[in-house]
Amino acid sequence: MSVLLQQLANGVVQGALIALIALGYTMVYGIIQLINFAHGEVFMVSSYGGLATFTLLPDDLKKSPAVALPLMFLGGIVIAVIVAVIMERFAYRPLRNAPRLAPLITALGVSVFLQEAVRVWYPNATSNLPYPKVFPEGSLSLGPINVPWTGVLLVVLSVGLSVILQTYINQSRMGRAMRATAQDPDTAKLMGVNPDRVIVLTFIIGAALAGVAGVMFGGYLNNINIDMGFQNGIFAFTAAVLGGVGSIRGAVIGAFIIGLIKTLAGQYMPGGTQYDYVWIFVVLILVLVFRPQGLFGEPERVRA
Amino acid sequence: MSTSTVSTPSVSSSAEQRSTLAPLGKPFAAVGGVLGIVAALLPWVTFALKDGNWPDKSTLQFFDAPFSLTGFRWHVLLLGVFILVAAFAPVPSKGRVVRALGWGLAVVSFINGAYITVKGGGLGAITAIDGDFAFGSIVGLVGGVLAILAGYGIGIAPVGVWKTKVSTPVAYLVLLVSFAAVLYAVAAMLTTGGVGSSNPYAGAIFLSFLGFAGGVLAALSGVGYVRWISALSEQHRVFSVIVLLVCALALPFTDAGNEYWMTVAANIGIYAATAIGLNIVVGLAGLLDLGYVAFMGIGAVMAANFSGAAAANFGITLPFPVAAVVSAVVAGIFGAIVGSPTLRVRGDYLAIVTLAFGEIFTRSAQNNIGGLTNGSNAIPGIPPLSLFGAEFNKSFSIGAVKLPAGVLYYVLIVLLVAAVMTVFANLKFSRIGRAWIAIREDEDAARAMGIRTGKVKILAFLIGATLAGLAGAVFAHKNGTVSYESFKFLESVTLLAAVILGGMGSIPGAVLGAALLFVLPEKLRDFEDYRLMIFGLALILIMRFRPVGLIPDAHRRAEMIERADENAEEAHVEAKKA
Amino acid sequence: MRKHSVKSAAIVGAALLVLAACGSNKNESSGNNGGSCDTSKGTLTVGVVAPLSGNLSALGIGIKQSAELAVDEANKKCTVKGYKLTVSAQDDEANPAKGAQAATKLSTDPNVIGVVGTLNSSVAQTVQPILRDKKIPQVSPANTNPTLTRGNDFLTAPKRQFDNYFRVCTTDDLQGPYAANYLVEKAGKKKIAIITDGKTYGEGLAAELSKQVAKKGGTIVGSEKVGEKDTDFSGVISKIKALAPEAVYYGGEYPVAGPLSKQMASAGLNVPLMGGDGIFDGKFIELGGKEGDLATSVGAPTESLATAKAFVDAYKAKFGKEDYAAYGAFSYDAANAIIGALAATLNGGDWAEGKREDMLTNVGKYSGSGATGEVKFDQYGDSTNKVLTVYQVTSGKWKDVQTGTFSG
Repeated sequence: MSVLLQQLANGVVQGALIALIALGYTMVYGIIQLINFAHGEVFMVSSYGGLATFTLLPDDLKKSPAVALPLMFLGGIVIAVIVAVIMERFAYRPLRNAPRLAPLITALGVSVFLQEAVRVWYPNATSNLPYPKVFPEGSLSLGPINVPWTGVLLVVLSVGLSVILQTYINQSRMGRAMRATAQDPDTAKLMGVNPDRVIVLTFIIGAALAGVAGVMFGGYLNNINIDMGFQNGIFAFTAAVLGGVGSIRGAVIGAFIIGLIKTLAGQYMPGGTQYDYVWIFVVLILVLVFRPQGLFGEPERVRA
Repeated sequence: MSTSTVSTPSVSSSAEQRSTLAPLGKPFAAVGGVLGIVAALLPWVTFALKDGNWPDKSTLQFFDAPFSLTGFRWHVLLLGVFILVAAFAPVPSKGRVVRALGWGLAVVSFINGAYITVKGGGLGAITAIDGDFAFGSIVGLVGGVLAILAGYGIGIAPVGVWKTKVSTPVAYLVLLVSFAAVLYAVAAMLTTGGVGSSNPYAGAIFLSFLGFAGGVLAALSGVGYVRWISALSEQHRVFSVIVLLVCALALPFTDAGNEYWMTVAANIGIYAATAIGLNIVVGLAGLLDLGYVAFMGIGAVMAANFSGAAAANFGITLPFPVAAVVSAVVAGIFGAIVGSPTLRVRGDYLAIVTLAFGEIFTRSAQNNIGGLTNGSNAIPGIPPLSLFGAEFNKSFSIGAVKLPAGVLYYVLIVLLVAAVMTVFANLKFSRIGRAWIAIREDEDAARAMGIRTGKVKILAFLIGATLAGLAGAVFAHKNGTVSYESFKFLESVTLLAAVILGGMGSIPGAVLGAALLFVLPEKLRDFEDYRLMIFGLALILIMRFRPVGLIPDAHRRAEMIERADENAEEAHVEAKKA
Repeated sequence: MRKHSVKSAAIVGAALLVLAACGSNKNESSGNNGGSCDTSKGTLTVGVVAPLSGNLSALGIGIKQSAELAVDEANKKCTVKGYKLTVSAQDDEANPAKGAQAATKLSTDPNVIGVVGTLNSSVAQTVQPILRDKKIPQVSPANTNPTLTRGNDFLTAPKRQFDNYFRVCTTDDLQGPYAANYLVEKAGKKKIAIITDGKTYGEGLAAELSKQVAKKGGTIVGSEKVGEKDTDFSGVISKIKALAPEAVYYGGEYPVAGPLSKQMASAGLNVPLMGGDGIFDGKFIELGGKEGDLATSVGAPTESLATAKAFVDAYKAKFGKEDYAAYGAFSYDAANAIIGALAATLNGGDWAEGKREDMLTNVGKYSGSGATGEVKFDQYGDSTNKVLTVYQVTSGKWKDVQTGTFSG
C-alpha cells in the first residue's frame, strides 16, 4: 500500500513536469495544427539557459537563493522564448501554407539542430551537468510518502500556471483572438485579428511555460542532459494527444495520467521499469487509433 | 503550393537585377572568365602552412610549368575558360550557363580561400604578408561573382531544348559516354583527397572538387544537356538501365576500387535500398514514418539468428537466400501491423505512431525481448556470406585482375539496389502507385474515386518494410554483428534526411541522398562534431528552399511548382546555393 | 557604355596577367620539421577508433587525446628510431557499422601499425575481424565484456577469440565479483538490489556480481533497469525501497549513477550505492554521489602510482584541461603498448608488411608500467593487471578503502 501511495506521488510530480511542456504542444497545435516537435528541445535549452544564468552570476549572489532562483527562472524563460520566436519566424512561418509534411520535417530538423547546438557549444554538455543547489532542500513526508520540496513546488507551479493560462485564454482579449484564430484563421483575420501576432504569442507562452519546466526539472532532479528534451517532449506530446490536442485542461489531465502510467507500469506491469516507456507508447497508439480526438478534444476537423 | 508565398520577393529582386545588369552581361562574363584564368595562375597561399603545404603547389608558386596545373587550380582554369567560351560562343540559355559556372568558380575559390585563411590563422595567408603575396582565392572569388552577375545580366532564359529524335546508335553512344563520365566523376569524387588521414586538407580538396563538379553539372543542365540525356534514357530505358548497372559494377575497377571504398559503397548501398523502401511510404504514399529503421533492425535480427553464429538464438541455420526472404517477410508483417493504425490515424498523428513503434522496438531489443536480440551483448560473429565457394569478405580475382576485399559485397548490394529500384519503378507506375500518389494528394478525393485507401496504405507500409528487412539481412552479414544500437531514432532521421535531400518519390534521389549522407561525413572530418547539427540544418533549409529535393520526381516537381513560374523556381535553386 | 566596359575589362585583365608574370617565382619550402629525432624513414600511424561525435564523444575524445599524448611523448623521446609517429583518429559514432568502416579505413593504410579502441564492446565486435585479417594489433582501453577475448564460455572453457585483440582494462568477471566480496564479506550487506542501464558494460558487471553475491550467501532482492538517458528515477527507487535492500549496486556510468544516488537519498532510501570503474569519477560526486557510496576501480590508487600522476600532469600541460574522461589513462597505456611493441619489432630496422606477425607477438609480450599500473597481457589478450581497489566517498572525495586481487 505504501508503495502504491509513493508511486502515485511520484507519478503526480512527473505529471506536473510533463504538463508544463504539454501546454506548449497543445496550444501551438490548437492554433496552427503543427506538431512542434522541437518544443521538447526548447524545454531542454531553457534548462541550460537557467544553468548558464547561474554560472554567470557573481559569487555572492550565487549564495542567496532568494536572488539566484528568480534570476535563473528569468534566464531560462528568456532563452526559451528567444529560441521559440526565432524558430517560429524563420523555420515555421515561411511554411505556413506548405503541405503538412513540410513543417513536421522542419520541426524534426530544428529538434536535431537545437540538441546538437547545445551539445557542441555549451561547455561540457556532452555529459550530464549538475544543477546548482539553490533550491529548497529536504522533502515533505506524509506518512509513507516522501516527496522532495522541489517536487511539491513543481506541482504547485504546474497547476497554478495552467489555471492562470486557462483563465487568460478564456477571458482576455488576446485569449479571445487566440481562440478565434484556432477556430477559423480567415474569419479571425477579417475581424481584425493579426494572425502572426497571435501565433507568435502562442509560441512565446508555450516557451515560457517550458522555461519554467526546464529550470524546475534541474532543481527537482539535480542534473540535466541534452536528451531530456526528446524524452520528455515525447511524453508531453503523448499527454497532449491523450487529453485532446488543443485543450488546455486536457493536456494537464493527460500529463498527470502519463506520469501515473509511467510509475505504476514500472511498478506493477510485467517487465517492470525496463518497459515503462513502452507502456506509454502503447497507450499513445491506442488513444490515437481508438479516440484520436483524445479525452477532451473535439473530433478532428477535416482540413484540406 | 508553398512556393508561391516563399518566392515572390526573390522574383521581383531578380527581375530588378536583370534590368540594371543587362548591358553589363557579356563584359562581366569576360572579366570573370579572365579573372578565373588569372586566379589559376596566381599563387594562393603566402607561406607554408603548419600542416604541410596547400595542395597543387599553390604556395607562393606562379604558373610556371605549362600543362602541369593539377587539382583545384586546374579546375579554376577550366572554369575560367568555360565562362569565356559560354559567354562568346552560341550557347543555348547562355545566362544560366555563365551563372552556373560562376557559382562553381566562386565556390571553389571561396572554399580554398576560407580553408587557407582558417588553417593559416588569418587573412594574411591569402593576401600579402612579409612581402609575399597570393591573391589567387580573392581574384577567383571576384571572377566568380562577376560571372554570376553576368549570368543575370545576360538573362535567365528557359533551359535549352535539344532535339530528342536521334538515331539509336547515336543515342546509345551518347548514353554510354555520359554514364561512363558519371562513373568517372563518382570515382574521382570518392578518391579525391585520398583515402585515410594521409592528407590533412582532404576536406577542402573534396569540397572544392564538389564545387567544380556542381558548377559544371549545373552548366550542362542549363544548356539542356541533362534534360536531353534523361529524355534519351527514357526512350532507351532498358539500354540505360543496363549501362548504368554495368557502370556501377565497374566501379571496383577504377581508382575507387579499394577495400575501404568498397566497404563505404556497400554501406551506402544498404542504406540506399532502405531509403528507397522508405521512399515508397513517405515519397509515394505521403505517410511520414519516423520509426522506419526498426524494420531494418527486425530483418537484421532475423537474419542474424538464422545465420548459425555462435550467439544466434534459433537452433537452425538457413542458407542466406532463404534467411533473407524470411527476414524480409517477417519485417513486412510488422510493417503491416504498424501500418494498420493508418486505417484510422492520419497525417501528423501517424508519424507519431510510427515514432512510438520505433522506440518500442529499440527498447525491446535492448531488453532482449523474447531472448531474440541478446540485448546489449548483441549478436556478434555472424559469418560472412559465401556463395559458390567465394567468401565475400576476402579479396577476389577475375583472371589476372585482383579485386579488393569486400568487392563481392559491393556487387551483391548493387544488384540488391537495382532490384529494389526495379520494384519501386514498377510499383510507381502501376495502379497501386497511382493510388498511393492519389492518397498523398487528397485522401478523401482518392477514396471518393473508389480507391480502397486503407488497404493501399497498409500495402505501402508492408512493401516498404519488406525492402528494409531485406536490406537488414544483408546488413547483418556485411557487418558481422547486430546490435540494437544500429537501429535508433537518429538512424530513422538519417534515412528520412536521405529521402528528403534526394527528393521525395524520386528513385535516383534516394540513392543520391544516401550516398551524400554517407560520403560527406567520411570526407569532411573537419566538421565531425557538427555532423548532426548540419543534418538538422539541412532538413530545415531543404524544406524552406527546395522541398522537392536535389533530384525531384517529375510528378512531384510539377505539383510543388505548378503555380510558381520558372523564375521562382530558379530563385529556389539560387537561395539554396547561397 | 558596353564597348567601354569590354575595353576596361581587357585592360584590367591584361594588367593582372602582367602582374602575375612579374611575381617572384618562389619554390615551396618544406614545412616539415620532426623535432630533434631522426625521422628519415617516414611516418607510421597509430589508429584510434572511438566515438568522436554524438553523446559518447566526451569519452571518445578522451581516448583520442590520450593516445595523441602517448604518441607525442614517444616522438619527443625518439622511442621509435627513424620514424615519426602520428595518430589517425576515426569516428565510429558508437555505431558498429561505422566502426567497421573506420576499421577498414585504417586497415587499408599500410602505415597503420596498431589501433587503440574501441569504446563500445558492440563496436569492437565488428572491428576485431577486420583488423585480424590484416594482422593489425588492436588494444582496447575500454571493452570490459569478457567474451571479446575468451568467447562465450569465458568462465568454463575460455578460448582465445582474436590473436590481434588485447585490452588494458579489466573485465566484468573480475570487477563484479570483487565488488560482491566487498559488499557481502567486508561491509556485511546481505540484501543487495541491482540497477543497470541496459548497456553491455553495466549488464556484464551486474550479472557477474549477482553470481558472486549468491555464492557468498547474500541475496539479490531485486533487479531494475533505467534508461541510459533517464534523469528521473523516482519510480525505480520507490520500487527498490519497498524491498528494503542494504545496498544498491549500479551497473553503468556516473552520469546516471550520481543523480540516482542523490535521488535515493531524497526519497529516503539511505543505503550506499556501489558501482564499477564507470562511476569512479569526480563527476559522480558532483552530480549527487553521496557519502558512503562505493566504487571499484582497476589498479592500485592513483596517489600510490607516480606514472598515473605523470600522465595527468602531462595531459593537462598538453590539452589545458583534465578531460581525459574515464578511459584516458587506459588509452594512454594502450597506445604505449603499441608503440613499445613497435620499437621492439623494428629494433632500429625498417618497417615492412612482413613484420606484422612480429608486431602481434611483441604486443603480447609487452610489459610496462603505465598510468593505470602494470600493463601486460595474458594468453587471451586480457590485462594481467588484476589489482582492484574499492573506493568510498568520504568528505566529498573518493578515498581508497581496500586494494587487492580477486581470488574467488
